Amino acid sequence: MIAGGAEHGKLLAECSRRDFVRRASLLGLGLLVAEALEVARLMGAPEPALAQAGGNDATLQAFADTMIPGRRAATTDLGAAIDPSAIAGVDELPGAVEADALALFHHPEIGFDALEPVFLTELESRSLPLGANFLSLDFGHRVQVALAGLDFSNSTRVVWEAAAAVPFTAFCAAAINPNQTAAKASGYRVMGLPGEAPNGYQRDFSYGRRLSRERTTSGSLP
Amino acid sequence: MPDRCDVCIVGTGFGGSISAFRLAELYRAAGVDPGAIVVLERGRRYKHTEFRQSMHIDHLSNVYNLIQGQGAQVVVANAVGGGSNLYLAASLRAPSEIFNRRDRRPGDGPDRRMWPDVIARTSLDPYYARVEAGLRISRPTWAQVSKSGGLWAATLQAAGHTCDRVPLAISPDRCVNAKWCHTGCIFGAKNTLPTNYLGAAERFGVQLRANVQVSQVRQSQARPYRYIVAAERMDNEGDHPSRAPVAGGGFELECKALVLAAGAMGTPPILMRSQSALPSLSSEVGKHLGSNGDHVAAVEYDPKKVRDVLGLPGYADFYKGKPITTMTYDYYAGRSANEFDGTRFTLQEIFLSALTNFLYDHGRGTGEPSFWGLEKKHAIAHWANRIELLAMVEDTNDGQFFAVPPSGGGVRPNPGPVTVGLFNYAFSEQSLRVREAAEAAIRQIVERGRLGRFMKLTETRGAYVAHPLGGCRMATSPDLGVVDDSGSVFGYEGLYCIDSSIVPTSLGVNPSLTIAALSERCADALVGRGASLGLPARPPGFAPGVPDEVIGERVVPALLRDGGSTPSRRGQRRRGRHRRRSQRRS
Repeated sequence: MIAGGAEHGKLLAECSRRDFVRRASLLGLGLLVAEALEVARLMGAPEPALAQAGGNDATLQAFADTMIPGRRAATTDLGAAIDPSAIAGVDELPGAVEADALALFHHPEIGFDALEPVFLTELESRSLPLGANFLSLDFGHRVQVALAGLDFSNSTRVVWEAAAAVPFTAFCAAAINPNQTAAKASGYRVMGLPGEAPNGYQRDFSYGRRLSRERTTSGSLP
Repeated sequence: MPDRCDVCIVGTGFGGSISAFRLAELYRAAGVDPGAIVVLERGRRYKHTEFRQSMHIDHLSNVYNLIQGQGAQVVVANAVGGGSNLYLAASLRAPSEIFNRRDRRPGDGPDRRMWPDVIARTSLDPYYARVEAGLRISRPTWAQVSKSGGLWAATLQAAGHTCDRVPLAISPDRCVNAKWCHTGCIFGAKNTLPTNYLGAAERFGVQLRANVQVSQVRQSQARPYRYIVAAERMDNEGDHPSRAPVAGGGFELECKALVLAAGAMGTPPILMRSQSALPSLSSEVGKHLGSNGDHVAAVEYDPKKVRDVLGLPGYADFYKGKPITTMTYDYYAGRSANEFDGTRFTLQEIFLSALTNFLYDHGRGTGEPSFWGLEKKHAIAHWANRIELLAMVEDTNDGQFFAVPPSGGGVRPNPGPVTVGLFNYAFSEQSLRVREAAEAAIRQIVERGRLGRFMKLTETRGAYVAHPLGGCRMATSPDLGVVDDSGSVFGYEGLYCIDSSIVPTSLGVNPSLTIAALSERCADALVGRGASLGLPARPPGFAPGVPDEVIGERVVPALLRDGGSTPSRRGQRRRGRHRRRSQRRS
């Protein structure tokens, strides 16, 4: 058994650098938050002034926009208001904010609310040295803050991972959008995924012809 | 005084459902009421129409359970029918070499065959055939291969490799290529266990009790009864279930024979909790957990190269078809570099879900963050030009439970679907080396001709496991394993483990068919020993049959609605036009 051999350093490094995506599936998100809560407890009480520096919901939206950037928009897929400062507007297509990342941050099955104060405190403590609270930073500086927070040398990285997992889940899974269609879920629209297919597809699902030599006659090896 | 039954079966996955059906056949043939067979399932029942084509958090929380251990994240199903509700239906026989593996792990010695000598591909083939009939396995024609699978086949062909179509437990008549297998098939097209083995067992009269979780087992002295099962009712129903045991919902069930079939994450914890009452259990319980060698990656194709290099008319239909249709065995057979145990792997095209978008790096090599940010967003926007690949490598089973889960398979911190697993899973050198080889092979195949970007699994530590195996592995003696080759627990007559927990190695292919074939073999042995356990004796001439198909209520798309499973005239005309166009194109 190797826990850190040099021979396979590259893959092992990739395997040991981070936990984010492994747990950032929809189901892993709750646990990610639960684990981060323990780290948050060790970090101590949040600094109220820092946590409130930019308006919590607007700041969470700005963080979501840093993870999956999007176009400027006034309302989300589900009709919620978007803070005018939240989206940096660096992409032409909808991003995580428009896909209701904020509502998922506050969803009871995610449990991020308990983590929010410590996350925002850390976010702002890394933003203010760059000249402003996170919400007021330009996109480049927001990226700089997120890079530092999600760096593997950051002992509180798991808190950032939990926060980062939320916008991905909102965008890629339309996780709290009851309408799982491209028309209603902007993440699906960006991906080119129609979503629900209650009638399936009768055409264009196959090239309809043999495309390779086959090794077996049954599909299984002997 | 506990309730009594002849046979108690814990779990409704492949092992539990197959055992239930084969025992029910025995009872019927012997003229005894199969109602004496009781099957317990911790999850709830679903009709096809209750599944959803949705990644909404409420639906996923209901049907999936995710167990986060140290070094591995394991996904298991949570419903009557077990993993068959959510599997992608690839149904392959494991290659002969698998059964001859010598992994040389600590405790196994330098030259121990990992499987009991009597288990080989040849000895399992009759049981594979039995399962293929029961699950109605068929191999898709090339016209039924998804574009994503076809693209993988063409890519391999262009690189000088072979690529095979994958046999599937999917009805070609009912499947409408919606690619939503992973959240439960609303069309009843996927041949899940409730549509065959389990449904047929219930028709025979077997009792199925859903929403019941088994906590532990102890011995009974009231012969012919041998075991007393302690169980608790689960709160799984309604809009906001707690998914926890119901207060005051505990009960006991006494049985003559007990089949544990709760899977690699369920059966070992039951036995571990029962160890004080079953003191002769092997000390190997809860050890040798494996991942079936799962390792995923993705490829984002350049549409122009798809046309110019592969000669295909473009590709942007990742979401259509069936989730698995093609794979290559070229790194398993026929190459000197993959000749020895622990060097072989297969590469299969697979559709996991839209959410797995962020399992991969963005593949753009720009130096920007690999899994978030603007480049990642651009990668997500090209999702339709992607295929995902599952490497199934010959790794070793090195996980083990380090503590006894108090209930279920771990510690449940809240009503959500996430469980904290009390097991660790570390990569052996072999497990790492063979994964590196699989990644290198994929990269070489897809970057030839600059067909697309290789996107490696990123930001992960350890294993992402959809196919947990082991924990009660079969062996020839209790110092090496928990059960013998028939699933019988060493030292305890009438106690069986018949599920994924008894599989001692990764399998090189998706494991469901092998778990099912082993279950058929174990059930055969149990039926043969019935008389000695106080069950009906096997009547002369008794022969196992094929379970009926039990489809039930399902969504029937308009195209298929007018004639049952026969497409409407309009649909036939459409299909005919499409076929003629396809033929012209080719």
